[in-house]
Amino acid sequence: MMTLIYRAIALFILFFVLRCMFREKDFWKQVTATMVIIPLVLRILMIK
Amino acid sequence: MNWFWPEGFYTIAMIAAFALGAFALKLPIAVAMGLAAVTGSLLGGAGIPLRHLVEGMFGYIDTILIIATAMIFMKTIEATGLLESVAAWMIRKFRSFPAVLSLGIVFLIMVPGMITGSSTAAVLTTGALVAPVMIKLGVPVLQTAAAIAMSAIYGMIAPPINLPAMIIGGGIDMPYVGFGIPLLICTVPLAIFTALWLVYPSLREKRHDPALEDELTRMAKTPLTARLFLPIAALVILLGGERLFPEVWPSLGMPLSFLIASVVGIFSGIRWNIPETVTSAINDALPVMGILMGVGMFIQIMTLIGVRGFVVVSALALPAWLLYVGIATSMPLFGAVSAFGSASVLGVPFLLALLGRNEILVGSALSLIAGLGDLMPPTALAGIFAAQVVGEKNYFRVLRFCIVPALLTAVWGIAVILGAQYIAGILY
Amino acid sequence: MISIKGNRTTAAFLLACALLLAAFTGRNFLEMRKPDIVVPAPGFDGHMLSEWFPNIVGTPVDTPVFIQDSGVPGGSVLIMGGTHPNEPAATMTAVVFLERATVNRGKLFVIPFANMSAFGHNSPQEASPQRIHFTLPDGSVRSFRYGSRATNPVHQWPNPDIYIHEASGQQLSGSEMANLNRAHPGVEDGPLTQRLARGLLELLLKEEIDLAFDLHEASPEYPVVNAIVAHENSMMLAAMVTMDLEFEGIMMRLEPSPRNLRGLTHREWGDSTGTMPILMETGNPSQGRLRGKTDERLALTGEDKFYAKASELGNLFIPYEKDQPMDLRVARHTGSILKFLATLDLVDPEIGVEVEGVPGYQEMLEMGVGAFLTPLEL
Repeated sequence: MMTLIYRAIALFILFFVLRCMFREKDFWKQVTATMVIIPLVLRILMIK
Repeated sequence: MNWFWPEGFYTIAMIAAFALGAFALKLPIAVAMGLAAVTGSLLGGAGIPLRHLVEGMFGYIDTILIIATAMIFMKTIEATGLLESVAAWMIRKFRSFPAVLSLGIVFLIMVPGMITGSSTAAVLTTGALVAPVMIKLGVPVLQTAAAIAMSAIYGMIAPPINLPAMIIGGGIDMPYVGFGIPLLICTVPLAIFTALWLVYPSLREKRHDPALEDELTRMAKTPLTARLFLPIAALVILLGGERLFPEVWPSLGMPLSFLIASVVGIFSGIRWNIPETVTSAINDALPVMGILMGVGMFIQIMTLIGVRGFVVVSALALPAWLLYVGIATSMPLFGAVSAFGSASVLGVPFLLALLGRNEILVGSALSLIAGLGDLMPPTALAGIFAAQVVGEKNYFRVLRFCIVPALLTAVWGIAVILGAQYIAGILY
Repeated sequence: MISIKGNRTTAAFLLACALLLAAFTGRNFLEMRKPDIVVPAPGFDGHMLSEWFPNIVGTPVDTPVFIQDSGVPGGSVLIMGGTHPNEPAATMTAVVFLERATVNRGKLFVIPFANMSAFGHNSPQEASPQRIHFTLPDGSVRSFRYGSRATNPVHQWPNPDIYIHEASGQQLSGSEMANLNRAHPGVEDGPLTQRLARGLLELLLKEEIDLAFDLHEASPEYPVVNAIVAHENSMMLAAMVTMDLEFEGIMMRLEPSPRNLRGLTHREWGDSTGTMPILMETGNPSQGRLRGKTDERLALTGEDKFYAKASELGNLFIPYEKDQPMDLRVARHTGSILKFLATLDLVDPEIGVEVEGVPGYQEMLEMGVGAFLTPLEL
């Protein structure tokens, strides 16, 4: 149960990270967001 | 076998790559850390090990959830007007009692750190709350940020929750029991010093800003109703309950607690734009989240190519009289990567090297010194956020004012280690 | 400054890169979850732990239990490896017993992979190798996973900030919640790791295990290494064995199980069951904090210049010159276990267990672990 809630929290944060990334005007800051996206995706999918 | 070659060379190369990326190319710190990690793995003959780079990031997956949700909470209470109103109220109430006020401010900043074990939480909650108050009362911006950063670190180290001490203790199978008083010994004198050194002098002068009264009226435009405090109350109950009654309280964890408290903000009677608030929170938190991902890669590659062993054993190889200097310098410096990393990578070997003294006191003191890592750029979790809450772009200007209390902290930590047997004799 | 403008297109490109990277590394991470193959010696029956404790049936912590019953009355002995899958000599010792042992008296239980979930991933920032390989006399190669100390977070997440050991109320750092050897005696409907510990307890109780080994490795800089940790129940036996081993030149520290450190096998199994619990540690540089370059070679040879330096400095608790090979570490475990078995019926003649076919200290040291693994039939 708690695992599901935390996956949902990760998904929630991922959504807003993506929103920030698509609004960002600086490429390198977009790269920073990319670095955050990778582990969030893998954890949401329960791969790592 | 040559001691320095090649691991010492890798160490220098990784640091150089980081410096090149961060300072010469002006890349974001997160990207510069990643660059340094890849440089290390290429030189170390590991190519570009994607598995290791990604695996390293997972060391901080929980931490980035905490940072993101804590920031959402912060932005929520800012958006509802709570922060400014409370600040105005405090100024009016305690303006005439500078000593009490300065100690009270430092203690207030420490509380969330004591409860959550995270300096970031302290800076972003009560730290952000008192920052405008302090500035309005005449504490210069940089001193304000420095006082917040130092208090947040003392809060993180003070009992009941001290994660670096748990990490260090875990490394030698020492349960986290009996740390309360030793940790108070480590932190309380330093907190008092910080209050008197950084905050009290400006408060005593009572520089009267003629525009202060207008400003206070503007800040207090949101009436301080009980409903306005609901998010804070919810957070205190959720986090406090979990820490104080862990046997009965459901363990929600910090991210969920922060989110629930933020949701409670919807009922505080003020309308605000929720999606935009959350977006701006994440936008502000992203650089730090990214740094942690970069640090994760960096540590994993350090371990992979042997740089970690080089750093740790070099520190252990210092002659006895230099060991203490080594502790006082290497642990805060390694904190540039992260205070928790410093506790784990260096704290445990140092504690092992000091076995035979009172382990609880030594562990407490080591955790205090590791805590200083939260001031050390590039990560500087306490420092950078503290600069952010006062609106200072250049963290290094804040760091200047942290130097005296930070040095004193290191000296105090070493003093506790040296006097561990003596203090233990009094305590037990 | 390398200034590059960002826009929606670059964002979409970076997102695609992130997903590609996640897919690529994700495949590698999933690969780690495939169980290792073992070839039990004739006479062993395969079971699953959930047969003793249905609460873990179908979960990632259910794990194989192999039993060889000689049919001759005697005692019951459990050999458990893999409590911490980053301590490979412990796993390999259990595997060697599983693939070589012939039991002539009593009953032998072998659990080679105690925390199956923890075998399926590596701890972040440890840069562990994912597999270790052994060459067999016929030239074929067998490989085993080098996992993590903790249950896979994919199976148990998030950890609480503070872990409270249920039986004692002792508080530990939250990450210890995923550490099987802080979870004993377990919790019937608790989190996975705690349930796994409970399953192991049920096995000990229902099978009336007389002597139970929980095999480990430790960092060479950790004081409890090259050591036998014994509960009050097993102290007499362990003292006899330690003396015998010392006589043969195999030095083992004998440590009494601390009463105030809860959740470990040597404390909880002794307190909650009639078994004599024994925890054994060998020195494994590949899990230590002082190690240099971290790879499969280090896990197998233990050769590391920083450990050599630390040894000169007097920071280690094992004799260390230049290496600490797997063969030596497994030899210490098999040699000690065989000595325990040989001594067991001196404590109580009814509970003797006789095992043959497993190499002792010298033989393992000379021939190496690979010599005692069975080639896989293709």
